[in-house]
Amino acid sequence: MTSPIPALTHPMLPETNHDEMAQQLFIRDLKMWLGSEIEPLQGDIARKVDPGPAHNDRDAEAFARLHEVPAFRSWAGVFRASQELMWDDVWRSVDRQAEELDARAAQAALGSITLDPDFVPPAYLVDGHVHIMPGGYALDADGVRQGAMMDRGGAVYMLGRNGGFLNDGRGKSVLGHIYALYPDLRPTRILELGCGVGTSLLPIAQAFPEAESFGLDVGASMLRYAHARASHLGVAAHFVQGDAEHAPFPDASFDLVFSAALMHETSAEAIPRILAESHRLLRPGGVAVHLEVPSRYDSLDLWSQIRSQVERDYNNEPAWQAATSADYEALMRAAGFDAVAVGFQDAAWAPQPGQGGFGGESKGVFRSWFVASGRR
Amino acid sequence: MKAPPTTAGRREITGLSVIEDQALAMIAALASELAVARERIDTLERVLEENGVLDRTRIEDYRAEGEAAQQREGLRMRMIAKIFRPLRDAARRALEE
Repeated sequence: MTSPIPALTHPMLPETNHDEMAQQLFIRDLKMWLGSEIEPLQGDIARKVDPGPAHNDRDAEAFARLHEVPAFRSWAGVFRASQELMWDDVWRSVDRQAEELDARAAQAALGSITLDPDFVPPAYLVDGHVHIMPGGYALDADGVRQGAMMDRGGAVYMLGRNGGFLNDGRGKSVLGHIYALYPDLRPTRILELGCGVGTSLLPIAQAFPEAESFGLDVGASMLRYAHARASHLGVAAHFVQGDAEHAPFPDASFDLVFSAALMHETSAEAIPRILAESHRLLRPGGVAVHLEVPSRYDSLDLWSQIRSQVERDYNNEPAWQAATSADYEALMRAAGFDAVAVGFQDAAWAPQPGQGGFGGESKGVFRSWFVASGRR
Repeated sequence: MKAPPTTAGRREITGLSVIEDQALAMIAALASELAVARERIDTLERVLEENGVLDRTRIEDYRAEGEAAQQREGLRMRMIAKIFRPLRDAARRALEE
């Protein structure tokens, strides 16, 4: 059993000097203030312009009408300005310490990294940078800069709600789901599709230390950072450049393939292909787990639907609506899975073998995650 | 410093003029700078006071000269580049179009 006391940070995380900390706390507090003080008023405005349940395109119409209200436009403008300012702050801080971070990355001795010089990232990640992060996931920035920016930005953005600076709440919830529904699974090879800087892969790799763990993603700089981050946290994981729709691995080469909040950052067309790819990569008896945000679009209230459209249009979460509307039961079956589970897994901070926590109801954002899983 | 990468896929907010968009971003950055400066001043005054070196009335009487004045100029230039960043970003986007 591992220590119940989580490490709150790790050696690759960019540090902050006095003023950078003040900048990042300012952004965190600005975002919180916008969310708690201004957003409820936007919800009230949305209800005022609501065309009503009889309208055949209610949410889109309300979203369009809101843009005629100056108070909505100024909120949307400051909402996005806060995100752009965050990236600018984090970029400057990362740039200041880039050489030290690269030197620390060069000491990474565990695991491996495999880059593909001919790799072409999917268009949806090139045409729109997710979370409006400058350069996007795929940019091959010098050294580990892009990954460092993503990790530090994520820590500020998530406001500590998802496992502190380790940001590993999603990975732990995937693990909780495996314990709840596939307690007999003893994987020898694990793959995460869309691993980012490895925040979700690490708790899974640590839970199955006898397994070889692989993370697949599109960006060379991000993967260099992910590799260094894992190594400094004592995890020998393998990071590979590639696309979740066409993973560079042979058929039937893993016992566990998972994704953690990946789908809403892809495209409506990519989602079924990624599910099919997870089936192709599994050995017979292997398990695929795909975790997503706990909202289901159709069951959201009007403001939450509009908020999703704000994320889609002004924070570049292109497939938010597609990923929260998709019929995963049907898509998983079409991908080749016979036994499929679709529902909500309790957010887990200390997942344990023998736990449950899977059911048909969401307990809310950061308390539940939507999961679609199946066995080959 | 290396210039940050540019952002692809940044949509216009319908009905919000491009210049209003920039103005809001500048105000957000300005507020951040003010918060940072206030925090730094607060740190400084508290540390100095704890160590018994600061008579706060001296702050009111201080005038920067020579090297101190030059360093202050550097601080001002950095602040200007930070606050008016949206002008640079908009110009870079305009050039890419």
